[in-house]
Amino acid sequence: MEDAPIDLEQVRRSIDAEVRARRAAGVYPPGFERELDALFAQFAPAEVTEDFDAALERAEETVAVDPVIPVASRNPGLLVLKKVVSKLIGWYHVWLVQQVTALGATLAHALRLLGGRVTALERMTGDQARVRAAGARVVPARDDAAWRDLVIGAIGDVSGRVVIAECGDGDLLAEVTDKGVDAYGVEPRSGLADVAAGRGLEVRLDEPAGHLEALDAGAVAGVVLRACTERSTPGESLALAELAVHATAPRGRIVVCSLTPDAWGTGATAVEADLAPGRPLRAATWRSVLEELGCVDVEHHEVAGGDAYVVVATRA
Amino acid sequence: MTAIHQFVPSLAPRDAVGTHYLAVQRILRDAGYRSDIYALEAKEEFRKRARPFRSFRGGRAGEPTWLLYHSSVGSPVGDYVAARPEPLLVDYHNITPASYFARYEPHLAGLMSLGRRQLLKLGRRAQLGLADSAFNAAELEQLGYPRTAVVPILLDVATLDVPVDRPRLDQLRRAKEGGGADFLFVGRIAPNKAQHDLVKMLAAYRKVHDPAARLHLVGGSSSEGYLAALRKFIAALGLTDCVDLAGAVSAGELAAYWEIADAFVVASDHEGFCVPLLEAMHHEVPIVAYGAAAVPETLGGAGLVLATKDAPTFAEAVARVLADEALRAQLLAAGADRLRELDVAHSRVKLLDAVVPLVGAP
Repeated sequence: MEDAPIDLEQVRRSIDAEVRARRAAGVYPPGFERELDALFAQFAPAEVTEDFDAALERAEETVAVDPVIPVASRNPGLLVLKKVVSKLIGWYHVWLVQQVTALGATLAHALRLLGGRVTALERMTGDQARVRAAGARVVPARDDAAWRDLVIGAIGDVSGRVVIAECGDGDLLAEVTDKGVDAYGVEPRSGLADVAAGRGLEVRLDEPAGHLEALDAGAVAGVVLRACTERSTPGESLALAELAVHATAPRGRIVVCSLTPDAWGTGATAVEADLAPGRPLRAATWRSVLEELGCVDVEHHEVAGGDAYVVVATRA
Repeated sequence: MTAIHQFVPSLAPRDAVGTHYLAVQRILRDAGYRSDIYALEAKEEFRKRARPFRSFRGGRAGEPTWLLYHSSVGSPVGDYVAARPEPLLVDYHNITPASYFARYEPHLAGLMSLGRRQLLKLGRRAQLGLADSAFNAAELEQLGYPRTAVVPILLDVATLDVPVDRPRLDQLRRAKEGGGADFLFVGRIAPNKAQHDLVKMLAAYRKVHDPAARLHLVGGSSSEGYLAALRKFIAALGLTDCVDLAGAVSAGELAAYWEIADAFVVASDHEGFCVPLLEAMHHEVPIVAYGAAAVPETLGGAGLVLATKDAPTFAEAVARVLADEALRAQLLAAGADRLRELDVAHSRVKLLDAVVPLVGAP
């Protein structure tokens, strides 16, 4: 009798579990991969970074085109030929080089002027990227107990993977996986992701929108949006909703856990709210958005004495 | 007689796409078509196999003539073909997105952008887009090609069985006798092939599984900037002695690498087909690969495909394949099946099935 073929999906899951166990045991210290990434980034060309000044310097270095015509060749005949051609067209080559170099230098100078103007504009109007970066460093304080039971009720019976974005330090993710749900987390803050990974949870260090965008259509059985929606602009929240619906398989669940607009910015969320570009949508808005995206059985529940809500929708 | 002439940017030895051009020519000629190759450049022993592309002045009087342009990079040949009046077929071998090279080799990125612009332009008049993979065919369809057909790279695996280079084999075996697994990747050193992620995998593997493991990166460089960064990265990790940047090697030397390899590892972010996967299957070396672009399709189940390539997961996957004999046997058996699916005889039928109804009998 032939052995049954090995299920490669099962092998991959077993590998993931082994890696999680090794992380939890400290075999791979927190930040192991990030340190490797940072080390490689040190040696990559300046353009690999997002540093505008470094990129501009690199551009200025390459502005000067070599005026010397290369004539080297392993073939002696070709060497002579190249030298002759070099002599014949040398004047034209120099003329071209002068023009190309002048064009490059002019463009690089114009870019430098433009960069200066953009920097001044950012200072004057408020550097949104800087505010976002500062906001991203604030650790979100959420009491997952408020919505835990509703989340488990919504995704406890789905068949397939569930993504919790953001998962923070993993409290909700741990509770969900303890109930047998095949869930993993997405967390953009490396410190929190490391804590969650150290608990043996499966966590991807990524932005929620970026992660959902990378998933194939219908790749997961459920998406739980937590914390990330509250500080998003309305446009970003709409994009998150669209991405969540796209990534969820038919009959899968989409769950939004959020503070209400009134509760947002009070108590432990004050600093986060001050530095956030957006604010939470109302539960009714999420209902409307998800229904417009074709979800069915959309319902919402008030929790935490009316300070928070959970919206549950089913992908049609 | 009908003619189908191929137009290619470059015809070079030890190049999978070059071998494909010659195989296409053989198949077309065997089927009764007249078929020549026109190239921008033909290297070394292939000089007599191709004519300068500008020497083509049209088909013989009264002879229906089609052009088959092979697209893999921007080239003056693409513009030349686009301006010709003959009916056109395009065989797309994938053009690496310029973004991979823009930061390391801006001039190459420019050529790749040019290649994509040419591909778009050629799509307006190409009557058929051939593609090595469904992944490549999907790109053609996005560009508006009205008809596409998948014809895998024509690789006769029998040509891979060459006499092994004994000195290189002895050298690799001596290292192996000292212990440690040997991981192999074959492909040009290029940002889209992400060899630095293989180095990270090796670092994790040596830390947890086997402190004597080695990584062999075989292939010439497409990016001196990326190669320099890779060298410094390897040195900074203290892995200079165990990462072999072999460069371009002879066929016999490559055979030696295949002989000692314990696993073929792929971390590429972008591959339009990835011929070395077929070579690994032929040499019965188990494959662990990051599942990006056309890699899962080419593998067709004949390798352990990973959804993520973070170093610990990649290292764990490689360790699993090496330790689990049943898994390894299953992957190798699947590789043999996959090679049969992709063999030249099957691809020949696919090529003729796609071309003959359109072009007509020879």
